[in-house]
Amino acid sequence: MLRKEQNDLLCQTGPGTPMGRMFRASWQPALLAEELPENECPPVRVKLLGERLLAWRDTDGNYALTDEFCAHRGVSLWFGRNEHGGLRCPYHGWKYDHTGQCTEVPSEPSESGYCQKIKLKSYPLVERGGVLWTYMGPPEQQPPLPEWEFAMVPASHSFMSKRLQESNWLQAMEGGIDSSHVSFLHSGELNSDPLFKGSKGNQYNMNDMKPVFEVVESPGGLYIGARRNAENGNYYWRVTQYVMPAFTMIPPRADHPVHGHFWVPIDDENCWAWSFDYKVTRPLSDKERKAMEAGQGIHVAYVPGTYIPTANKTNDYLVDRKAQKEGRTFSGVFGIAMQDASLQESMGPIVDRTKENLVSTDNGIIMARHRLLRALKTMENGDMPPGIVAAHQHVRSAAVVLPPDKHFKDAAKEALVVQTGKEHVTV
Amino acid sequence: MQSESARMSSAAEARFRIDAPNSKPRSVKVIALDEPSERIVKELSQRTWNRAAFFTASSFGGTPKQGESFSGWLSDLAGRTKNLIEEVNSADLVVMVAAAGENAQAASIIGEACSLKRVTTTALVLGGPSISDEALSKTLSHLRPWALMLVIATAEDYIADMLTALRA
Repeated sequence: MLRKEQNDLLCQTGPGTPMGRMFRASWQPALLAEELPENECPPVRVKLLGERLLAWRDTDGNYALTDEFCAHRGVSLWFGRNEHGGLRCPYHGWKYDHTGQCTEVPSEPSESGYCQKIKLKSYPLVERGGVLWTYMGPPEQQPPLPEWEFAMVPASHSFMSKRLQESNWLQAMEGGIDSSHVSFLHSGELNSDPLFKGSKGNQYNMNDMKPVFEVVESPGGLYIGARRNAENGNYYWRVTQYVMPAFTMIPPRADHPVHGHFWVPIDDENCWAWSFDYKVTRPLSDKERKAMEAGQGIHVAYVPGTYIPTANKTNDYLVDRKAQKEGRTFSGVFGIAMQDASLQESMGPIVDRTKENLVSTDNGIIMARHRLLRALKTMENGDMPPGIVAAHQHVRSAAVVLPPDKHFKDAAKEALVVQTGKEHVTV
Repeated sequence: MQSESARMSSAAEARFRIDAPNSKPRSVKVIALDEPSERIVKELSQRTWNRAAFFTASSFGGTPKQGESFSGWLSDLAGRTKNLIEEVNSADLVVMVAAAGENAQAASIIGEACSLKRVTTTALVLGGPSISDEALSKTLSHLRPWALMLVIATAEDYIADMLTALRA
């Protein structure tokens, strides 16, 4: 359980909030690059960390992420004309460049220089790995660009999707580090999903339904090791990475692409679940890419023209009670992502953690909250939170078989950090 | 018309959730395995808890001999010997606390008692970044066979946070 004030502290990410400051200290995924496919394309509304913004791309290809609303009368610039190096408000013709600087106020004499006094709030927007990243913190503290491995491999080696999740970011993120639910909720998919099935690790998973967990602090967050029995008295370890505040990476299975998530607040009651898959040394195969585009693995199929999952709360997640009874899906919902999201959304937009009854196997979640709260405390003294520096981002999940006397953090030390030109260590 | 899932997961519906206790306090026995941990456990015991009780096994180093009784392997923080089996029997969860690099051999006797009585065990290892991997491995080797959940924490206040989270 958490006290109400602790829950509020972790769940509220709007401007001026402590947790909002933590998110604003690092680069966050804001849009997929495909959402702004060409110069002068239509602008896109973006809500991030409780701020209404507009993403657009000018005549010269500069990306812009500016206040959504015109400084004149407050109309949405989503209706703006993207023309000749700027975005023009269709109401009275005020025009802005990609930094949010107003460049024309037609009703005022140009000699007056009035437009120079008008500037919309704007944030940097930079493409890396098919994602448009933004930094919403103080400009003087802007860190170097993110170096997550999936964003650094060639475009042919990775796939990124995003989906709307109608819950607070924390209950979504906590699902990403809750290893003990996999053998139940996702049991059907381990043997059927083309991006999961066929790994020897799956056999260990299904043969030992009572894993033992080890939670270890890492420089950027946590390693969460789940230990199952393997042959000859050895242990099969699946090590999940959590990097503060909202990055989680799932341990690999056989030669399948490795996947993980960012859980980025839209506002306090909604978040984007960003889902990536990648390989280091080879491009994704056509089959893998098609499966991801079709919504398999950790991805979803969309309502056309949106990033809203086809199975969503408005259609009861297309729950199939017959499939549930027949054991084809444990919860009746199909697909790993929506199995998680359906349950996390059912908690309500912000779950009341004063009512929960955590057990020993929830220590990963308890430790993640503890580290977040601890980081918030140190930020009060001017310290930067973990997760910003490249070393905290150069991490990997791993699946390894180790002798019983070996601690995964030491024995798999190399497997838990980026090894240039080498694939993830996996079983 | 909205689906039932859409309607029922709204913030407005959250206020109709039953506001009544949904659990009884669990009995959590916290046992220090060494002297540095005993100091921390003593400090913890000064706080207010629901049903947490604090013990030490720090003076009972080594492993029990064949056929030796479980009864004398625990003492309360005032130094009175307690019956391990009785304490474990009345626990919902046993938390063993060890300092990295210290001898955690008492974990085997406590773990065996928990195993016998089917009581869940959690082990917490406290160690700052200066602790060597070797020292940590030594402590872990004693704990790993007996802990369903093992946590290596750098901050002492994690234990209090964990016990609070578990409603101890």
